[in-house]
Amino acid sequence: MKLKRTIYTILLSLSLSGLLQWTDTLGQEVPGRDENITFLVTFGREGETSWGDDDFYQVFFFAIPRDFNQQFYIRIFDPDVGGEHDEIQGDFNTRTLFSVYGGQGVDPDRNEESKGLNNGLNYKGGNLLASRVFGDEPRYDNKYFSFGPFNPTAGDFNTKWNSYIFKIVCEGIKGDDGNLYRYFLSRDPENNVPIEGANAFTYEYTFRMWNDFKSVAHIYPYVDTGVIYIRLRNFDWDSDGNILVVSRYKQGIDAPISGEDDWAESRIAIEPPEVGSSLDFQFHKRQGELVKNNNVVVTLENQRGDALQFFSSPIGGVPVYQASILVRKAKPK
Amino acid sequence: MRQIQDISNPMLRKNLYFIVLTLVMAPFTLRAQQPSVYKVSRMPFNTGVFSEISPVMVQDGIVFCSDRRFSAFRDRKTFEGRRLYNLYITERRDSTRWEKPKEINSERSTLFNSGPLCFFHDGKTVYFTSEVETGKIASKKNFKNHLGIFIGELSGTDILSIRPFPYNSTQYEVGHPSLSDDGKYLFFASDMPGGQGGSDIYYCEWVNDQWSTPENLGPKVNSPDSENYPFMHPSGRLYFSSDRPGGKGKLDVYYTMLTLGSWEIPSIVPEPINSRYDDFAFVADEAMQTGYFSSNRSRSDDIYSFSSTIMRKASCDTLVENNYCYEFLEENAVKWDTLPFRYEWKFGDGTRGTGSIVEHCYPGPGKYLIQLDVVNLVTKEVMYNEKTYSLEITDIEQPYISSPDMGTTGQRIRFSAENTNLPGWNIDSYYWNFDDETIAIGKEVDKTYNRPGTYTIQMIVSTEPDPGGIVSEACVCKNITITSRP
Repeated sequence: MKLKRTIYTILLSLSLSGLLQWTDTLGQEVPGRDENITFLVTFGREGETSWGDDDFYQVFFFAIPRDFNQQFYIRIFDPDVGGEHDEIQGDFNTRTLFSVYGGQGVDPDRNEESKGLNNGLNYKGGNLLASRVFGDEPRYDNKYFSFGPFNPTAGDFNTKWNSYIFKIVCEGIKGDDGNLYRYFLSRDPENNVPIEGANAFTYEYTFRMWNDFKSVAHIYPYVDTGVIYIRLRNFDWDSDGNILVVSRYKQGIDAPISGEDDWAESRIAIEPPEVGSSLDFQFHKRQGELVKNNNVVVTLENQRGDALQFFSSPIGGVPVYQASILVRKAKPK
Repeated sequence: MRQIQDISNPMLRKNLYFIVLTLVMAPFTLRAQQPSVYKVSRMPFNTGVFSEISPVMVQDGIVFCSDRRFSAFRDRKTFEGRRLYNLYITERRDSTRWEKPKEINSERSTLFNSGPLCFFHDGKTVYFTSEVETGKIASKKNFKNHLGIFIGELSGTDILSIRPFPYNSTQYEVGHPSLSDDGKYLFFASDMPGGQGGSDIYYCEWVNDQWSTPENLGPKVNSPDSENYPFMHPSGRLYFSSDRPGGKGKLDVYYTMLTLGSWEIPSIVPEPINSRYDDFAFVADEAMQTGYFSSNRSRSDDIYSFSSTIMRKASCDTLVENNYCYEFLEENAVKWDTLPFRYEWKFGDGTRGTGSIVEHCYPGPGKYLIQLDVVNLVTKEVMYNEKTYSLEITDIEQPYISSPDMGTTGQRIRFSAENTNLPGWNIDSYYWNFDDETIAIGKEVDKTYNRPGTYTIQMIVSTEPDPGGIVSEACVCKNITITSRP
């Protein structure tokens, strides 16, 4: 009996090993600290896709650990469309709707449409917990707006991550300007106080590239079990530099990048030791003439066409390439 | 067959002694470095007064020829009063003692010589030497009889069904038969016309159930002097005896071999098999470890045994050349055709290389620190010492033979064990086996090959006994190819 209990404990520990890595993280900034991305971007639906947003909405998920039982807030930095940060197209005439969802239908593992990958599908699955439309509102320009408080149990429970999942959707419901914003999951409505073990993820990342040559943006997709290769798709990169795919076993695979208003796709093999860890997609700006205000979209799927998640805080930590020298005898010359 | 008869006649052999003593020792002399490789001992069944010659190895003993007195009442001589040779067989009783020889009789035993001889591989069919003419004329005074070869079947101690070899002649001598291991070739000595002088070695081939016309082995093997007592060893070496100049003295044992359709220049068998006396009728076992020969070094013709003292290991590691060349690769980078990185290697000996896979040969053993710098071609960033690797190169632990791989006949070749790498071994002895029945002892030795061929040299090193009396030994072998000097 004692032996059985010991085995059970070991198996449970092993099955939760991935989770343990997650609970080590402290990432509720979106974009995350390690991602080094300035802003998320969503354009008004009257905008041009060539400006860097392919669908004029963006879906993000927050995962609240099951053992966290306090209320929390989802804070949006610079939610308005006007003033600082945002991308004006003529006049600021854009209205953006932020909606927070919880309950059944949110968890993307059980509701494919919730991932928000295909236009027309119901990416608003779940119970609407809060929403607000922002226009050109100086009150929220360069400031935070907080949704909440929310009870963790109002989320959709995901057994794999042992967390309650919440979803926030940003839609450009009117106008053509670009709303540049950030999220923060917080225990406090007025300050950014992280929730230990929480994380945020998305399946389609629309963000603003840096306006300088040196800064390198990163996103960290998680390679789930069963992945043999990944198909990386990127949109409207304007041929602005290089995407290097880095892992502990990849020093930097140079993935093709898209041009203006089009998609580029590449297939990258995954090695077995990479499964269960994060990749590092590095976005290096092109040297020479600086491409400014470049907004881009990235998606990722496995060999079966299932979308892979980008975590704001990389699961298992930021992957660092480990060079490996192999020495073997050669034929004498 | 005067030469053949002369050898079995001590009086006539004296003339040969004189001739041979006046000859100059030359090309077949072995080098001074050459230690003795054979141990010889006189067989206990020799009479000391009579002659015992031409041993043939049979299953449990030897068959030989002797003109010994058969008993106090029986003695055999020719019509002219010369002693007659007959065949005897003796078997080994134990490691040192032999049974009393028994006579092998035939219809010729009473009045004619029998032997030397050889056996077909069935052990029954015997080829032996005897006089050609057995009729009344043979008993006439001053009749010159000639030797020939006769074939019979051995039954117990009797030779039956005797028939003559077709190339016997009443004009010249034919004798000293030796069959090849497969029975397809018969070698013999003869002074038939057309030879090189004296008696020569000839051979016949068994074709269509008969022996082909005799062929002379040619001037490379046969000299103007006499060659006789051929013995075809299973290895393909043909041993024979000759009183040619340049030997150890009088009759000496030589060997040759058919290589690429041509008989090689004969080499002399080393001392103590050869001596300044008559040494002839050499036979040996398949492994050349033991054998017999005849010699008059103790005044009368006697049979001696020999055993090889040459060490040759059945199991000997092939020399592995030390290889200081390495391939370095960035293990993950090589999986991709193109990467925006440049890999710059410092090999730790002052040299560099570039690429995800590089090769480098070091000058020798040592410790080397390999450093890999990586240049990111996108960011132009250089990652110094992205990875390092400590490489320790050591020589293979083995006895080591330093020598050329090729040489020519007559060339002095140096063999050295200087680069032997056996840490912790207190080496006491370096023993070289040159695969031509010569050996040498020493860390650095010289060797001259007389015949072309590929030789597998063995070097055996052994340590001084440790406090427990244990001697460690290691063997390494290496091939060397010797070609004829142009």
